Amino acid sequence: MSNRDNNVRNPEKGYVALLGWSLNAIESADKFDRRYVVVAPDWAEAYCTEHNIPYVPWNFERLNDRSLEIAQTLQDMGVDVAIPLFEETVEWAGAINSVLLDNPRLFGQAMLLRDKALMKRRAQLGGIRVGIFEEAHDKQDVVRFLKRVNQTLLKLDGDPNDPIHLKAFDKAGCLGHRVIRTPDEVDTIPDEEFPVLMESHLDGWEFAVEAWIHNGKIRFLNISEYVTLGYSVFVPATPELEKYRDQIRVQIEKLIKTFDIEFGFIHPEYFVTSDGEMYFGEVAYRPPGFKVFELLERAYGFNAYQGMILTFDPKTTEEEITAFFPKEVVDAKGVAGCFGVYPRRRVVSKLEIPSETEDHEYFESHELTAPLEETVTKRTAFGTHWGLIYFFGDDPHTMRDLLKRQEDLDFYV
Amino acid sequence: MSHPEPNQDTNTGKLASLTARMDEAIAALAESTLAKATKLRRLFDAVRKVILLEGGAAVIEQRAPQMEAAGVFLGSDWAYPEILLPALSSYSLKSSETDTVIIEAISELRLLAVAKGAYEHPSVSSEQAHHYLTQVMAMNLDLLFGTMSEAERETQGRLALVTRALFRHLAERIGYEHIIDQLVDEIWRIVQQRPIQVGSVKQMITQIAICRANPDIDLGSSGQGADRLISSLYGTTQACREDPGVAVYYERLESMDTGALQYEASGFARAMHDTGLVSPYHAVLMRYLLDHSDHLLSEALGLSSTGRDCLMCYDDLVRALIRASVYPETAQAIYGISLTLERGILYQPPVAPALWRQIHLPLSAWSKERLRLVYGDNPLPEARLMEGVLCMLGQPLGVGQGNNPTCQSARALSMWAYNDPDYLLQMVVWAARDDEIVIHFEGQPISSMASLTGVASELSVDLDPVSLLVVPHLDRIYAEMGRRCIGREGDPHRWVNPEFHGWWAGRGFSINVDVATGKLTDLEGFLRHFYACYHPFFNRSQPLIHPQPAGVAITDSAARFIGWHAITILRVALDPQDVMRVYFYNPNNDSGQNWGDSVVVRTSGTGERFGEASLPFEQFASRLYIFHFDPLEQGELARVSSDELQRVMDHVYRSWGADRVPAEHLQAAAENPQAPSPPDPGGV
Repeated sequence: MSNRDNNVRNPEKGYVALLGWSLNAIESADKFDRRYVVVAPDWAEAYCTEHNIPYVPWNFERLNDRSLEIAQTLQDMGVDVAIPLFEETVEWAGAINSVLLDNPRLFGQAMLLRDKALMKRRAQLGGIRVGIFEEAHDKQDVVRFLKRVNQTLLKLDGDPNDPIHLKAFDKAGCLGHRVIRTPDEVDTIPDEEFPVLMESHLDGWEFAVEAWIHNGKIRFLNISEYVTLGYSVFVPATPELEKYRDQIRVQIEKLIKTFDIEFGFIHPEYFVTSDGEMYFGEVAYRPPGFKVFELLERAYGFNAYQGMILTFDPKTTEEEITAFFPKEVVDAKGVAGCFGVYPRRRVVSKLEIPSETEDHEYFESHELTAPLEETVTKRTAFGTHWGLIYFFGDDPHTMRDLLKRQEDLDFYV
Repeated sequence: MSHPEPNQDTNTGKLASLTARMDEAIAALAESTLAKATKLRRLFDAVRKVILLEGGAAVIEQRAPQMEAAGVFLGSDWAYPEILLPALSSYSLKSSETDTVIIEAISELRLLAVAKGAYEHPSVSSEQAHHYLTQVMAMNLDLLFGTMSEAERETQGRLALVTRALFRHLAERIGYEHIIDQLVDEIWRIVQQRPIQVGSVKQMITQIAICRANPDIDLGSSGQGADRLISSLYGTTQACREDPGVAVYYERLESMDTGALQYEASGFARAMHDTGLVSPYHAVLMRYLLDHSDHLLSEALGLSSTGRDCLMCYDDLVRALIRASVYPETAQAIYGISLTLERGILYQPPVAPALWRQIHLPLSAWSKERLRLVYGDNPLPEARLMEGVLCMLGQPLGVGQGNNPTCQSARALSMWAYNDPDYLLQMVVWAARDDEIVIHFEGQPISSMASLTGVASELSVDLDPVSLLVVPHLDRIYAEMGRRCIGREGDPHRWVNPEFHGWWAGRGFSINVDVATGKLTDLEGFLRHFYACYHPFFNRSQPLIHPQPAGVAITDSAARFIGWHAITILRVALDPQDVMRVYFYNPNNDSGQNWGDSVVVRTSGTGERFGEASLPFEQFASRLYIFHFDPLEQGELARVSSDELQRVMDHVYRSWGADRVPAEHLQAAAENPQAPSPPDPGGV
């Protein structure tokens, strides 16, 4: 650990606060040249003390009267900017940065980025295409929306419905995400999940983008290809998706303008339909799930968290940021992907990685653990996977097929 | 068998690409400062793939130093290879947890690199690594020679291939033909030290026996030396030659005449005294003789005239002891009884009544539970403890500390068994019956119940029954004595050692390390004083009367300092070659150690009694840093020749003292920039 102390931190550069606890983010900051402080709940204190990590305790509950207190504390420490690491800390970062950077609009922007319904409205106003959507306050709303959407699609009674998607307003990624096809299924939604956002189903190719933005310009744009939403992702994408890169860039620039984003990092999701039309899904102002940052580091060799620190830090220079990021796609050493494992059987007793997975030359590692309980809880929504499997190789098509193949395999038997 | 390997090229190609991935994983782990745990999986998965390839294990062996430096073992027991127990390797290697198997495999390959001299490790020497690996292979001969068992397949599946690949490589590097022979030598070397704990030795011998009996395994000409070892456990005598099982053997005894019984008795006794190992059949015979013969007991115990005399004086007691302790599972009790009788300690007035008390001693629930946990239900915990007591009385120098930092407590038990047996029996009673021991320190009682923590935060269970019950108490009391010395100037052992061990530990105290700085202080005066107290040529040929606690600086085979360690000086005498040697007791489980700079501790062949370790006087003096003496017999500093003194001091400067030379002799200090550690109160 002693080599950590030798890491010279440049006082000329910005001083950043990381909001939330992510060991990989902290380690990246620790190895970088900027001063940093971790803002996390008090259970992190022992670890921080033991490992000599700069730390300010804070419990991120709902914003309240004391919210100014943390902004004040960080300002007194000389912190220049706060970086959100999780969905739940996005509005905190907005609130804090509006103080630190003396820009009250940042708080409003953060609230916009936290609420999926507001976000879609704003996008719509900015001339970005979105699907049909509506808020639901109870089950009746859901039934009505399902019917209306299918009427719009000119379906007759008895035709199979097009599904609709339900999402929590303010949760990350797939948490709380359900697909509803029939009015019967509406009954399975627990009351406490309301209110929710409802969206029509778009038949198309869903993908995500990670964009690092500095001075209102895109500095690095990655396209993450989903093989199946909630199961797998890989970077860089196949040439079939990468051929949309220019169109995607235009979309992201629109998004930046619409949401008035000057700096930082965004992670939007889109659909591209068979006729090449882009539909905006949602956008998050924080690192993506599914370890995409780690995949990017594996594929390109740059540290995505450090990239994030650079884009947030107001003292970052143009030269510095240009030198930091590689050139998209061409600079990648290979394709990195990961697969989220869900048990497929109702009763499982042990973890058994299929030999075809383990022996594949792309297989790199897994972080699955043995099952603690034998009975698998029935999945109602897109739940949390039981662990990820990492792959790395040369060919994006092989990667795509390999990830797809994993969906048919049992990891827990 | 050198038919061309059709996949040779693909294997080489695969190995190269997987090695590259493994190197990347090592680099990622090494670069990580705070999140190492999250980088381990990638390395483990890479290692698993590499080891399965032809030549893969060799690559991992080469990378072992980088892996260890990157932190692959951090936060686990494998980070301290010096404490790893060969016996535990079987559990890791046969585990169903991939990570456990892989980290164990990496650790073995690392020790292989150490053993081969390619990797200089800060805490294990190449000899230690070699011993360790030989024992690991001995414990797991089935992995080396046997075919995969159904049980393995079931729990491990393809993981079993990893251990096979590992063992194939270990055996190739160390040499198949030598393994069994080395192993036999290794077992003899350990057995000659007559440890009380022989479980792992028996396990190794059993493994060899199983391999030899298996027609699928061709051991060639190796393993001939194992005959005596195997026969001392199985097939010791005519009537149990083919290992028929204890029930059949008992039936055979019933049809024997006195001549045949005598033949059995002397056969067992010879084997027992040859190896220190007792066959389960021997226990059957002993129980049979209790009821059927008066005069063959002494024959079966292999007693000399001293022991026989003692047996006749205490016939009832010995019979009661046999009834209480000798079962096929506790056969070692026979050896304990035999040696206890030979020592004549039953003639000390309190010992026989104390043993009667022990026979009828009710154990506390906690004591029973602990004995059950370690030794199982059969025979009863009382019998296990009785076996342990008899073995400790018979083999005071066979006490080992196990894998625990409790050398002090082990030394105390050994010293009491050796010098004050009825005090030891009293300690056992207090611990086993009352769950509390009280020892006074400078007039103040210290209770093991009231003192919360000892030196060892938790005690492993690789201990003999007596240590298992008594050491936790002693350890807490010892630690509390240390705490009561906080704030006093100098080393606390000055006060703790005499109060802890007994009145005979000298109140005079000499140390050659300055506690505050860790530097050497008055080395010459210290040595002259030691010669004057202990060397017969300088103390008017006065043999050492009582065993004395002493502290040594332990060094590895490269003479690098490892730590402070507690030992007992037992006697100083001329060996058969007329070399003056210090004979001492080392609570460490294996005293045969190479301390570097040609200082090699002997355990046999130079006049050692069972369990003793020895060094020539000069060499011993060069590792000594604390000794006790009687302040009233201090005498004058010995006029040791300056040549001899210089030789001793040079040994010090070339080893543990290299970086402890005080500022006025700075010439040596520049060569070793590491800061010296001051003596640690816990270690001595």
